[in-house]
Amino acid sequence: MASNEIIMGMAASTLGTPVADASDLTLGPSGTAYETVIGLEVHVELATKSKLFCSCANESGAEQNTHVCPACCGMPGMLPVTNKRVVELGMTAGMMLHCHINRTTTFDKKSYYYPDLPCSYQVTQWFAPICVNGSVHIETSKGGKDIRIKQIHMEEDAGKLVHSAWTNTTMVDFNRTSVPLCEIVSQPDMRSAEDVVAYLERLRALLRFAKVSECRFERGTMRCDVNLSVRPAGSDALGVRTEMKNMNSISAIERAIAYEVKRHIDAIETGSEELVQETRGWDDEKGVSFSMRNKETAADYRYFPDPNIMPVVIDDAWYASVEAALPDFPEVVRARYIDELGLSEYDADILSGSRACSDVFNAAYAVCGQAKETANWIISNCLGFLNRKQLTADELDIDGTALGKLIKLVADGTVSSANAKRILAALFDGETDPEAYAKRSGLIIGEGADDLVPGVIAKVLAANAADVEAYRGGREKALQPLIGKCMKELRGNCDPKALRQQIIDAINAG
Amino acid sequence: MYIALDDLILTKDLPTTGGSLMLKGYYSPFDAEVATRLTGAGHEITCKAAVGEFACDLLGETNFMGPTVDVDGNLCGGDIMVLMNNDAEAVVGLDVNGTPRRSAAVSNHICLKTSYGIVSRYGTIPLACSGESVYVTGVTSATCQDVLESIAGHDPKDGTSLPQERCVAAATPGEVPATVGVCRSLVEAAGPDVQARIQKVIAKLEARGVRVEWVDDSMLLAAKPAWNILMPAELCNNVSRYDGVKYGYRSQDYETIDELYTNSRTEAFGDVLKTVILFGSDVLFTHNYLAKYDRAMRMRRLVVERFQELFAQYDALLMPACSKLAFTPADVEADKFIAFQENLFTAPASISGLPALVAMGVQFMGPHGSDANLLRLSASLGACAWKEV
Amino acid sequence: MDKDSLKGLERLNQLALTPQQVDDTLAFFQLRQAEWDALAGIDTSDVERMVHVAPMETVVREDVVSEPFDRDELLEGAPDAMDGYWQVPYVLE
Repeated sequence: MASNEIIMGMAASTLGTPVADASDLTLGPSGTAYETVIGLEVHVELATKSKLFCSCANESGAEQNTHVCPACCGMPGMLPVTNKRVVELGMTAGMMLHCHINRTTTFDKKSYYYPDLPCSYQVTQWFAPICVNGSVHIETSKGGKDIRIKQIHMEEDAGKLVHSAWTNTTMVDFNRTSVPLCEIVSQPDMRSAEDVVAYLERLRALLRFAKVSECRFERGTMRCDVNLSVRPAGSDALGVRTEMKNMNSISAIERAIAYEVKRHIDAIETGSEELVQETRGWDDEKGVSFSMRNKETAADYRYFPDPNIMPVVIDDAWYASVEAALPDFPEVVRARYIDELGLSEYDADILSGSRACSDVFNAAYAVCGQAKETANWIISNCLGFLNRKQLTADELDIDGTALGKLIKLVADGTVSSANAKRILAALFDGETDPEAYAKRSGLIIGEGADDLVPGVIAKVLAANAADVEAYRGGREKALQPLIGKCMKELRGNCDPKALRQQIIDAINAG
Repeated sequence: MYIALDDLILTKDLPTTGGSLMLKGYYSPFDAEVATRLTGAGHEITCKAAVGEFACDLLGETNFMGPTVDVDGNLCGGDIMVLMNNDAEAVVGLDVNGTPRRSAAVSNHICLKTSYGIVSRYGTIPLACSGESVYVTGVTSATCQDVLESIAGHDPKDGTSLPQERCVAAATPGEVPATVGVCRSLVEAAGPDVQARIQKVIAKLEARGVRVEWVDDSMLLAAKPAWNILMPAELCNNVSRYDGVKYGYRSQDYETIDELYTNSRTEAFGDVLKTVILFGSDVLFTHNYLAKYDRAMRMRRLVVERFQELFAQYDALLMPACSKLAFTPADVEADKFIAFQENLFTAPASISGLPALVAMGVQFMGPHGSDANLLRLSASLGACAWKEV
Repeated sequence: MDKDSLKGLERLNQLALTPQQVDDTLAFFQLRQAEWDALAGIDTSDVERMVHVAPMETVVREDVVSEPFDRDELLEGAPDAMDGYWQVPYVLE
């Protein structure tokens, strides 16, 4: 039985910081080498159906204020009731990132005024976050290292503001208010943009694999604030830290880091500006960061426990059920595909690269037992299909068992591979029984077709005497148009090898 | 029965103002659970009763329309006015800082502040959520019992709502309290008319064979300072949503969003509320939190534990509901924050979530879930609004 | 608590007090401080804080979507609305 003691994430000042790689250092104008110290706060939108504290739909892209209730638009009277799935995804994220899960976790109010915050407070976790003290392993050109996670906590998202310069107004959409987020706070263990990119990509892969979040920067389901400071190489003390927000893509983050490091070093060496601890926005178009500081001093958020929300106590049974539902880590899946199933590294990379693909592969393989075939079907046919629709591998949404059945039907000779592609299209439409579909659509080889074949062959031979003569004369290739025409007549419902032989027999006989 | 709701209970068909200009004319898109249950039980909601601005005051005098005063020139709660005008037989509302209990005490009515968690707070204007609870005020104990049975019950829409069995048990009359402890310090803190009233009630109790003893209630005196920290802090946070953006009052005078917020709130809020807001936000500041809000939560535990000790020996406790049996506008003019002195008597029940019953101008308290038993006690004493004590 | 700190509190809470209200508020702060200080003799260092008076654990709901509220109804009381949005003065981000 795990202890109920609440553990907080380690404070950065108590940590021994990893030593920088010489190639991570940046030279200032004076020739001094500087080390960049970076910590990230990543927010991911959790993949739940409803919001964190009310039952409005958690769906992006909807028309403004259509997923809103009195609670999430700041009207009085509705009380918050915690979404169980949010806690489970918080636990899942913590387990994927090797965190300690606090078995008693609570929610607190954080107060400030902004039009996208309907109650003028956000419910978050300050006193007892759900997960603490984890780590993420990254590999870069400098080798491998662990980036430590300070904590993960659950909190509500705010609404969206739409600014209209021509009416000089701002419009408020509360659809996104109270959408559940996990905030993942790292220790300041990153030393370069390369570290940051590797960390974000790894985080994204793990959280997508565990279906915690779709983690897409361009849809705002993954956001990142960068905390950055510089210090002379070899120094132990941390420099002035600035926080950067509003980078909309990983490449924007890289540009922002490069700019900000230079700005810090310039400020330190030339005194061109004063370096203050502040929040800065990133303007990707202009390629500059700008101060977002208020004229007043930083607000005190006045955290206190939300009296309407009871503590969430995670007992052993609940913990075990979430642990049991964890997927294998992607690299474990990849290794199994290569070592046990004999797939190529290329195939294994793709299949283990997304939860959707590996789920479909695993289900299909379980039915048909043919690893290479299944891999080909997914990589060539399925992903090709998605590609044409400009969808990514993560969006593969077909029934894996059905795919396995389809592969078996082709292997059995029940269905030709040409027609199998038609059936695959049906699977993308939600079909789960390929055999039934094939029957309905008359795509089964030999179903009544045996009677048809001799008649069709006779008809085609009679209509193509020239090709028949050419074949009799020794031209093998003349067989091909005959086969093709018979196939067309039979609508592909035949075994090509058997058909070829039957045509040859018919030519020889007549 | 005809029932009125106080203006902290949200309704779709009648406006809910919370006593503030900020919510003048506000129609809620949904009904409070108590409203739904009352109509479901066959009662009719007749009207809303006026309250002080977000329940911060003594007897409703900070309502944006002004104080309610009875024929004798005394301050009178809006809920009592509804009963005296025969606009309803009972009033159901939210007790945040003891106003409903004080109203009942000065007008000889019966008011039960229910045990925390047995009546749903879904659809009540949230103010001091850690302790506020629904009350019912009526002319007789039987009226209050009837209403209690209609509204007590588990509600999954309220995350603090207790399991159904506990709600039902609280509304089911059990043993009449046979032993009563009289809170010495609280009685000594009250004025002579209340002290005399306490003596009368003691005599009535003893005449009915109840064992009455004076008890050491000194720990209970800590309830007021602690509640005066917790309640303003939570209230400040809960009224920060009233910002002129989404509904309610918006100033005509603004250019920037900042001005919209500040001017709307400044124009729409009264001065008592403003003070409470500022004080409440201060006790939550990082440098104050441990010494103020956090310590107040620990003080709450000490008060609750003291109550547990007392209720192990006594079925009920007797104490004043307020320092005197009548208040005039002059009392409030002398000290507009008088509620923050008077809640010496009401804070023990507010901070602990225990049930409190006011009858005959005095206050009884019992252990959590003894709501119906307290009503049996007042019934056995013959308490009735029309009967002089 | 002094007038300058009070000004900071006013800004944080989006309020503007009159001079009389400032004086009354400062007096209120003093009374509250005095009554709190009077409890200094009570040791709470070993007392666990009590957030909930009727404590329960893990009050949660299933991840189910309910019927949406009607947007027009929610916007009915809006002081300023446009195209299904609540509208405020231009906010520079």
